[in-house]
Amino acid sequence: MERDNHQAGQAQGVSFCDPPSESNPPAETLATSLCLLGNHMFPDSVERKEEISTGADKEEPADLHQSDVKPNEQSVDAELLSNQVKKLETEEIETLEELINESTQPTDRDAEDVAMDNDQSDSGEFVVTMLAKAKLEEQGIGVKGRSSPLLEAGIQESPAFISHRDEDVTADSWRQHRKHVFVLSEAGKPIYSRYGSEEALSSTMGVMMALVSFVQSGDNIIRSVYSEEHTVVFLQKGPLVLVCVSSSRQSEDQLRGELLYVYYQIISMLTQASISRIFEHKKNYDLRRLLAGSEKILDGLLNLVDSDPSFLLAAVHCLPLASSLRDSLSQILQKAITPNLVFSILIAKNQLLTIVQEKTVIEDTRLEPADVHLLLNLIGASSAFQAGEIWTPICLPLFNPDCYFYAYISYLDPPECTVCLLLLSTDKEAFYAVAECKRKIEEAMVAQNSLSLIAKAQSYSVSQVGVSDLRHFMYKPFDVPDNYRQLTQFTSPEMEAPYSSDEEKMRLLDLYRYMHSRIHSTSRPLKLIYHVAERETLLAWVTSKFELYTCFSPLVTKACAITAITKLLRWIKKEEDRLFIRYPPKYSTTPNPSKSSRGGKSDQQDTTDNGFLSLL
Amino acid sequence: MPEVSKMKKPDVKVVLLGDMNVGKTSLLHRYTERKFKDTISTVGGAFFLKQWGNYHISIWDTAGREQFHGLGSMYCRGAAAVILTYDVTNWQSLVELEERFLSLTDTSNHDCIYAVVGNKADLTDPKAQMSQDTDAVLEDQTEREEDRTEPQVLSAWPTPPASPASLSGMILHKQVTHEDAMALYGRILRYKGLEEKDSLPADKMCFETSAKTGYNVDTLFETLFDLVLPSILRKRNENKASPTVDLEDCRGGSGKRARSTCC
Repeated sequence: MERDNHQAGQAQGVSFCDPPSESNPPAETLATSLCLLGNHMFPDSVERKEEISTGADKEEPADLHQSDVKPNEQSVDAELLSNQVKKLETEEIETLEELINESTQPTDRDAEDVAMDNDQSDSGEFVVTMLAKAKLEEQGIGVKGRSSPLLEAGIQESPAFISHRDEDVTADSWRQHRKHVFVLSEAGKPIYSRYGSEEALSSTMGVMMALVSFVQSGDNIIRSVYSEEHTVVFLQKGPLVLVCVSSSRQSEDQLRGELLYVYYQIISMLTQASISRIFEHKKNYDLRRLLAGSEKILDGLLNLVDSDPSFLLAAVHCLPLASSLRDSLSQILQKAITPNLVFSILIAKNQLLTIVQEKTVIEDTRLEPADVHLLLNLIGASSAFQAGEIWTPICLPLFNPDCYFYAYISYLDPPECTVCLLLLSTDKEAFYAVAECKRKIEEAMVAQNSLSLIAKAQSYSVSQVGVSDLRHFMYKPFDVPDNYRQLTQFTSPEMEAPYSSDEEKMRLLDLYRYMHSRIHSTSRPLKLIYHVAERETLLAWVTSKFELYTCFSPLVTKACAITAITKLLRWIKKEEDRLFIRYPPKYSTTPNPSKSSRGGKSDQQDTTDNGFLSLL
Repeated sequence: MPEVSKMKKPDVKVVLLGDMNVGKTSLLHRYTERKFKDTISTVGGAFFLKQWGNYHISIWDTAGREQFHGLGSMYCRGAAAVILTYDVTNWQSLVELEERFLSLTDTSNHDCIYAVVGNKADLTDPKAQMSQDTDAVLEDQTEREEDRTEPQVLSAWPTPPASPASLSGMILHKQVTHEDAMALYGRILRYKGLEEKDSLPADKMCFETSAKTGYNVDTLFETLFDLVLPSILRKRNENKASPTVDLEDCRGGSGKRARSTCC
């Protein structure tokens, strides 16, 4: 394996697609900023090889030149650099164990000295300027922060909330987090960091922004940086820059997908239109003013993304339910309507029970899984919802990134709070009317004893399939004519032994992520993978009708696994009505169809009504 | 009450307003659930129904975050009482009440009453610290006045704490005194164009509370509920609901009306 032959004192390799003659100065600057960034993120990175892949990255033969430069030297051979290719894509298949169980022993050699030298050298003028700016800001904020009683009070009020924010960003434990996520504005202002406070990280984020702007100034887009242990992925969306630094060995595309979820979650709280408007008006606006208090929601999202395969599959998991019960619940929702109600969603144990949509909406478009994920995350991240009824504006970014819906959220079974009703209206003033719908739904559910029936519903065990070697699977059917324009769903049994501990669950998910990345590889997509791992055997299969990931005991034979999959598919077909929401019902609530349709005029008005204009 | 309270239309509306992190949700939680818990930032607004005698009082707990500012006036529409909440350890939170939140109350009832409430009193006041969820510890206003001899803080950022004698735990520097709150109350009345002599007196409408220990919390809500009763009675006599409910009745059609009157 190429990546294993790293030598001591090896400098970073930067793959850059500019012509060699031009690439010398940029490479130097990039190397400098990388050192700076690297020094913060991964102290041993200087000795390791790093690669930068940019938007115009070419697929070249895997003729890899290695640039051996001593740590203290700044110049990087431009010709060699230009010949570097993005290595991961050309790598030969390696066993997953190597990928995942790779030894992670940092070699803290002279890392700090190198960074010092970098600081003093004048090669990256822009970076230095950026850093100086960041430092100034840091101080400014620091002074304020020390004396702000609001902060002190905050610390006392919610220790859990502070713990991540309070982390020492210079500590090793901070560096060792599996996945860091940063959000910053184009002006380099920190907006969000998953671990550690944004203030403490402002210089790091400044360097990130410097990297982005530098590559941008050459009419290029920075996409990722690879080092031995970390993958750094960049995503620029409008005035926001999102950066992920991961040691999870996920593919670049998967990480970028996760950053996109973070972006969507921010959009769902503020709308794309208002974010653009704010930054058009004031380039260095501190978006944290508007996002203050929402960090928990972003934290929750990132934890879900790590632990819930729905995000990987971009599909929704619904709770298995006898189709008769699901139908009766849908009918209850269908009957409780009020003008401008567009979605009625019933959720139990954080899984979907049923969704009823407004007729015009369903003809127009369908609800995207990502929007449902954001809604589920919002509910999950807000324990305050457990009492009372919530009325809040929310944007569904994939439905319409510029407009708000008004969400009514209430639990139907207090104090247990497992069954949650979510009603979305386009009318800001409709709270009382929508709350009345809930009373109707509640009444009907009491009459039909629905709550106790829902309480009995639970996820299923893989043993119900009746295939002995099968340990777990994920099955996602594609749009086929009979569920056309439906929410994309997937089904999956509970993770059972040996995947009972969090570590083991994560290990299985990592295996699935690896299989997924191979299936969806942009350079060499695969249709069928039979992967023999150390402790299990996996088989992933994608057809025009479905995407299937299965996990078997390690001793299964290929023939056995294929028979098992045939059985499994037969079982799913038989249980289809129970496992999926088959025919989502509709209702009609709009006297004026334009009110609920995508980008309708009234929606637009809602956006402007929402008070953001008054802030500017 | 034999009736199911849920089915009842609220008679009167009370709204909690105030900057982020002053403890609005905690105050309400202390009152309704009798305990203090770590809450997380409220999104939008949360609606609670409280039975008070024969009356149904709806309470809106709003988000203090700037993100949801646009919704504030909606929550306040037709309110009979507004609780303007600040944090006694944070001068800025009092300033925000006047700058950001007072204008939201333009949509409230013309006879709306206002309470100015300083929460987190347990951080600065030994008395509030000891109070454990009981009304017995409540002191009357004049007695508490004696404690407050600290100089007024005028700057937005405080001088270092003057290390007051602490009984237990940490005592923070108090940035907002009771007098500051009463002065704000006076300015609110002026903003509303109300005569001070015709309105409820400032010392009656300014509270210092602690959601953490329960200090003064019941007094706050119960005083307010008693004060809004005349408003309920007047409304009942007029037999006319607030504009919001009117609208809903027209829209909902006969079916909904029948339902709401059936119980």
